[in-house]
Amino acid sequence: MALLEEPIKGVPVIKNYIAGEWVESKGELKDVVNPAKMETIAKVPISTKEEIDAAVEAAQQAFPDWRRTTPLARVRCLFRLKELLEEQFEDCSKIQTQEHGKTIDESRGESRRGIENVEVATGIPSLMMGYNLEDIASGIDEYLVRQPLGVFGVIGPFNFPFMIPLWSAPYAVATGNTVVVKPSSEVPLSQRKIAELVDEAGFPPGVYNLVNGGRTVVNGMLDHPDIKGISFVGSTPTGRDVIYKRCGETGKRVIAQCGAKNYMVIMPDCNVQRTIPALMTSFFGNTGQRCLSGTVLCVVGDDAFYNRFLNDVADTASKIKVGYGLDESTQMGPVRDAKKKAKILGYIEDGIKAGAKFRLDGRKPTNLVGDYPDTCFLNPTILENVTPDMRVAQEEIFGPVMSVIRAKNLDEAIDMANSTSFGNGHAIFTSNGKDARQFQYDIISGNVGINIGIVAPMAFFPFSGMKDSFFGVLHTQGKEAVRFFTESKVVIQRWL
Amino acid sequence: MELNTASEAISFSRELEGKSAKFYGSLAQKYVSGKEEFLSFARENDKNITQVQRAYYGVISDAIEGCFSFKGIDTDNYSIETKLPEGVSYADALRMAVAVEGKIVKFYMDAAEVSKSLMADVPRAFERVAKKRNERILKLKALVKEN
Repeated sequence: MALLEEPIKGVPVIKNYIAGEWVESKGELKDVVNPAKMETIAKVPISTKEEIDAAVEAAQQAFPDWRRTTPLARVRCLFRLKELLEEQFEDCSKIQTQEHGKTIDESRGESRRGIENVEVATGIPSLMMGYNLEDIASGIDEYLVRQPLGVFGVIGPFNFPFMIPLWSAPYAVATGNTVVVKPSSEVPLSQRKIAELVDEAGFPPGVYNLVNGGRTVVNGMLDHPDIKGISFVGSTPTGRDVIYKRCGETGKRVIAQCGAKNYMVIMPDCNVQRTIPALMTSFFGNTGQRCLSGTVLCVVGDDAFYNRFLNDVADTASKIKVGYGLDESTQMGPVRDAKKKAKILGYIEDGIKAGAKFRLDGRKPTNLVGDYPDTCFLNPTILENVTPDMRVAQEEIFGPVMSVIRAKNLDEAIDMANSTSFGNGHAIFTSNGKDARQFQYDIISGNVGINIGIVAPMAFFPFSGMKDSFFGVLHTQGKEAVRFFTESKVVIQRWL
Repeated sequence: MELNTASEAISFSRELEGKSAKFYGSLAQKYVSGKEEFLSFARENDKNITQVQRAYYGVISDAIEGCFSFKGIDTDNYSIETKLPEGVSYADALRMAVAVEGKIVKFYMDAAEVSKSLMADVPRAFERVAKKRNERILKLKALVKEN
């Protein structure tokens, strides 16, 4: 199959989008590198404190008018945005592949999931409604209205450059707030594309702002008194120790969706044929760089089942085609950068030192198709003889590594999964309803899969999380996002 | 060539539809008696592409097994001969068309089967196109009989 055309040509210097204008940053420029080809495809500014302040000020100024714009008029902007995103669907998807490295199927999936949030947010005239009750006392009525709060910050991670900011931003603006979005400086091009479409969709200046950068921008958001809340997706140390903590100190609302260590529990009665492709996507999809990836394969069953099942898993994984995501035949792209690859290799070596054994050694990308530097590529790795105390069973590797553990029975498997500090997306594969129910009942996990490898909630459900996977109360997406971005005001009235 | 990904399968269906549309275009030019029918087939091919693509773009999700969903589909099994030989008779050209349609139907049915567990809309779109093409085969066979 031919290589799909790259949408990003030359090496553009990315600007910030503030108050409806594209503004050049005074900050230093950093290279944005396509990890498959190791080519610089853009320059992104590390914006200054003054620039984030200017964006928040623009958003603050836009807020009163936007708040007074009718919900119907607000969602008309979102309807236009949705149309533009559909029109530009293929370009948006290719940009993700070019800047992040994921396969084109994965990018299109990410585009679809992102757009679905815009679709759900267009339901704001219904979703934002309050409720009322007449005659709570004689002649007295009571009702609740939801009101926007002001300016919100949205901080995106590197692994889903297009979709994740859309878990929050559409709901924020649909409910009448204004936003400042900060994408990961490693993958800023998808959000630049969205901001271009926001501009075309006719949102008033200042309602939607984009500021590129790093810590200065994040700290600027956290410390700014006009920012009412932050929606963050990223690592647990940053989410817990920086974002959640600082939001608490400054009195901001916060959603901090963080790391994971997801167990995929395999029961001997699972449908093997259907389970294997689900596991391939779970462990190796997005090159293992997602907080819903399977990371520990926990097999319940006797030696005969274990050996047969693992043979099938290893055989399928060994054939995964690795390459540039714009080649349609590629099943797994590179990891985002060389530093991340080195970290993954470090985990693999740590696992081996601790007593794990290679079932599949993916350290050298022998399945790499095409003439690309192997800087960021890996093959899938499968480690056997892993025990729950090993780092490869406890810590988030964020790469294409499957750690295999055996459990005597379901109780033990659940105990092992619950022993990790995370609770994001554990899953069970079984054809037994009773076991499935026990699993969903006892497992400590915000999202639970039953014969599903990637437990990604749809846009109309919250993206949940427990323990070190989530800090906050309300979540992104759907009704919970609407509540996060609004204040409940209760009115009790009596007309004399 | 074995297909690995959903994206490849959609591109391959686009390729088959494009090739066969071109084939019907040349039949329409060469054989005036079947012109309208052949041109309608070519137009229908465009609709098929739209239908299949719409299904794929509508349901593809980051969470499904898009990169592992078409195991067992080898494009070599569905290669179609669309070049009309010199001096080919109308009846033989129609037989060629039946053979082309047969291969394409087989592709859609096989692709629908292997992708069944993943996303309902895509196999359904494949099956719908296969059904339309089966009807086309009946029309072509009737034309062969007439000639």
